[in-house]
Amino acid sequence: MKQNDIDLYKQLVKTIFKMRYKGSILGFLWVLLKPFFMFLILFVIFSATAGAAGGLTSKQYAVYLLSGLIIYTFFNEGFTWGMNSIMDRADLILKINFKRNIVVISALTMALINFIINFCIIGAIGVVLDINYSLNGLLYVLLICIVMFLGMYGISFFTSIWRVYVRDLTHISELVLQLLFYASAVFFPIEMVPENYRFIVSYNPLAVFIQAVRNALIYGQIIHLKFVLASLVVSVILVFVGRAYFEKHILKVAEHF
Amino acid sequence: MEDIAVSVKNVSKKFRIPINGKKETLQERFVNPFHKTKYVEFHALNNLSFDVKKNEFFSVIGPNGAGKSTLLKIVSGIYIPDSGKVVVNGTLVPFLELGVGFNPELTARENVYLNGTILGLTKKEVDEYIDEIFKFAELTEFVNLPVKNFSSGMAVRLAFSIAIKVKSDILVLDEVLAVGDGEFQKKCFNYFDSIVGKKTILFVSHGLGAVKKYSDRVLWLKEDKTYEIGDPSEMVDKYSKTF
Repeated sequence: MKQNDIDLYKQLVKTIFKMRYKGSILGFLWVLLKPFFMFLILFVIFSATAGAAGGLTSKQYAVYLLSGLIIYTFFNEGFTWGMNSIMDRADLILKINFKRNIVVISALTMALINFIINFCIIGAIGVVLDINYSLNGLLYVLLICIVMFLGMYGISFFTSIWRVYVRDLTHISELVLQLLFYASAVFFPIEMVPENYRFIVSYNPLAVFIQAVRNALIYGQIIHLKFVLASLVVSVILVFVGRAYFEKHILKVAEHF
Repeated sequence: MEDIAVSVKNVSKKFRIPINGKKETLQERFVNPFHKTKYVEFHALNNLSFDVKKNEFFSVIGPNGAGKSTLLKIVSGIYIPDSGKVVVNGTLVPFLELGVGFNPELTARENVYLNGTILGLTKKEVDEYIDEIFKFAELTEFVNLPVKNFSSGMAVRLAFSIAIKVKSDILVLDEVLAVGDGEFQKKCFNYFDSIVGKKTILFVSHGLGAVKKYSDRVLWLKEDKTYEIGDPSEMVDKYSKTF
């Protein structure tokens, strides 16, 4: 990696970051406010029913809901921004011969920054609510985040190229992500899903990650370890295969913007 | 081979242009699943070969649609040729447009960092050059002003001043020799006078005066995809007779 590549990466991240909230009065606070209100609404409506069905106290349900929302948001933003990254920077790609994948990684970095900030908030709220975090649990959450980041990075190598050819992908992904929100048991316990449909949640990687993060945060338990490790392997492979695919196709993409 | 900076061998490039608009959304594909999009093929470049020697000022002239910009994009690695080969010896920075990536909401200083790193400078180098850049652009008092409040002349002066700090052996220029008002243009030409013969320059222009003045050799791309390479005044005169 050349120094310029690293500096360019930092500049691009900085620019996205500055631009996202430029001109708004509350600025950066919006990163926090949006998920917070989402949380508040879901908490007020579901803490009695959904929380109770999962055998959770209302304090536990707060962390349960927050962690679901935050992991889901991480995936949503990483997937969407990664997919749009190449298309969004067509102006640069058509004029300058810089390393194209810097654009992809900077989009994902933005999602990661948002996630880290959100995560610190759950941390703080959990402490206020007397949830005892265990070190193992936190390390396990870290591992899951790394797996998710690598997985989304690998996927973005494909989707960012496809996005240029098929403009529908924006709408398709919006729809799928919306469905995924419900299929990932973000705000209700899996027990509430009728048994015939429970497989949707059990085989949905995002739902599995969310369950694992929750158990790690609330009870300090490590569940689905095999699945997480297998995902790590798959994600690393995705990054390598995706990168090869990306390098092969990125030069042809320029004439299709 | 060492004295060759850019070697273009048998390069061809064609674009497929959809006649009835391209089917880019799935709806269009579903509605008419058997309707094949018809394309016209447009040959931008056909079997073009030439070498640019090290430190040569090499210009490309020709009418619109002759493939000049396509050629620059292929040499810059933005497009890939359908066939043929391009070899570049040394670092190459394309200036197909000035101020690439300029963000109107950001301040001039922020844009210098952004544009500078896009053009291949490190942050440290920008730190080092930033005062000179603003001095050359004569915009020292506007460092913290958003670029959206600049006049277009001011913005392009800033962009030019960043561009001349970029380190590269080979410059690819699309119509960007001199910008701004008369006085600033003089500074631009002074700069080019100082680098002619020291850097390899691949230059595309309709400004035949500058082409004649600076070039060592000229490539004339014609509409029928044939081409001639030769002495600047000879090529410019021949080209001028076609209109």
